[in-house]
Amino acid sequence: MIFLEHDRLIFSFPEVHENATCHIELMRTLRIPDDGKDYPLPPGLGRFPLRYVDDFAHRLPESWLTRGGVMFPMYQSEALWIRLYGTFISTRETYYPFAVKIATGKINAVTGEAWADGISEAPQDYVVIPKQPWLDGYTVEKGFIRQFVAMPLGSGYSAEEQITGEAEHGGIQIIAYPMKREVFEERFPEVKDSDIRVRSKMKSPKAMGTERAPAMGLAPGGRMKQEIYIDPYGIDDWDTGKFSRCFIAIANSLVWRSITGENPPTMPPTAEEYTRMDLPWFDYYDDAPALNGADTLKGLKSVAELGAENGDAPLPENQSVTPGNIIAIRKDLKENQVREEKW
Amino acid sequence: MTKTFGEYVRSRREELRLTDPSYSVRQVAYRIGVQPAYLSSVERGLQSPPSEEKIRLLARELNEDPDVLLAMAGKVSADLLEVIRTRPKLFARLIRELKHQPDRTIDHVTRQVRDGDW
Repeated sequence: MIFLEHDRLIFSFPEVHENATCHIELMRTLRIPDDGKDYPLPPGLGRFPLRYVDDFAHRLPESWLTRGGVMFPMYQSEALWIRLYGTFISTRETYYPFAVKIATGKINAVTGEAWADGISEAPQDYVVIPKQPWLDGYTVEKGFIRQFVAMPLGSGYSAEEQITGEAEHGGIQIIAYPMKREVFEERFPEVKDSDIRVRSKMKSPKAMGTERAPAMGLAPGGRMKQEIYIDPYGIDDWDTGKFSRCFIAIANSLVWRSITGENPPTMPPTAEEYTRMDLPWFDYYDDAPALNGADTLKGLKSVAELGAENGDAPLPENQSVTPGNIIAIRKDLKENQVREEKW
Repeated sequence: MTKTFGEYVRSRREELRLTDPSYSVRQVAYRIGVQPAYLSSVERGLQSPPSEEKIRLLARELNEDPDVLLAMAGKVSADLLEVIRTRPKLFARLIRELKHQPDRTIDHVTRQVRDGDW
């Protein structure tokens, strides 16, 4: 089952294990320049507001209601990353593991393949919680992704349109599978009380910061350093008979108020404004083995590349920057260390 | 004063009949598979509410929530009863603990993100 709480999706499997819970958040961020350079991780600028589509049924297209799930607003000038984290179980000194498959426009963000329920190991088409703390874009090659950026669905830029030629789905699709209970209990035995170090549960970050809904799709933006880690467990460890999935529709921020009556978040800064203020970028370090990029995704054209081919200027603000203030984050994140900066 | 099951069904049916003559006692009774005289008696409180199956058909005719109509008739749907029977102590405690909570709290406790067709 999936609950929505404070703009956070909570995937819970009490029928598998009382601690089988993971959290998924969509984080706002700036759009890194789409200029062929490789950038470090941009910051988190707070969570996108998530709302049930059913609550605004009278103002949404029928197809949104058929898919169920939730929706959020996005400006064309912004980007997103997906934050993934589990529930820390102090008696076993671990987080409950999950396999999570993520797609945009029903195109898998790790493999570039069309959506299907289930997970596969060759090629691996999912990420693992807690190994993968976030996903910022499409896996174009080993150690590099292209950022998830917003483009109007139908404009031809989205990964879905580039691969399938159709602008049918848009949005984000997520399916989560918990680790089998018996595998979890065997892999992570309970530790004696005296062995439990004083360690607090990882807290969630503080957020900072009848018309048709013009739908947005996600397209490949600038290049960024990010590794997608190989499943450290194995395909047989996941309870593929138990899963929850969610369709997340994206509405253009400009019509968010007319759909929901709420103002959308303020416009994000440009990469140039952010860097000029010497605010931090991030570099995540974990020496675990990473997946190679998928050929299909490697063949995608970035928004800037496709715009240049079409004689279009889809990115009015795309100035190159040189991040100077880069904070290194090691794999064992400290409490609240989640790429968020105060504004 | 709160309406009885019969009074509520009658008022709702008459309301619909104002714009659609097919909501006469005779035609509604025919569509849900009972005698018009029986439905008329139920509406006037002279007969007990009908079976769960008929109440569900009536709810669909009147565009009403079947659980609400069942509750007005003093009944609980069979599927809910089955759920309670599987873990009676747990669900009895849950319902008693939630009975004074505002709707918003209950909605928060029970609401899940709906997965649709995609």
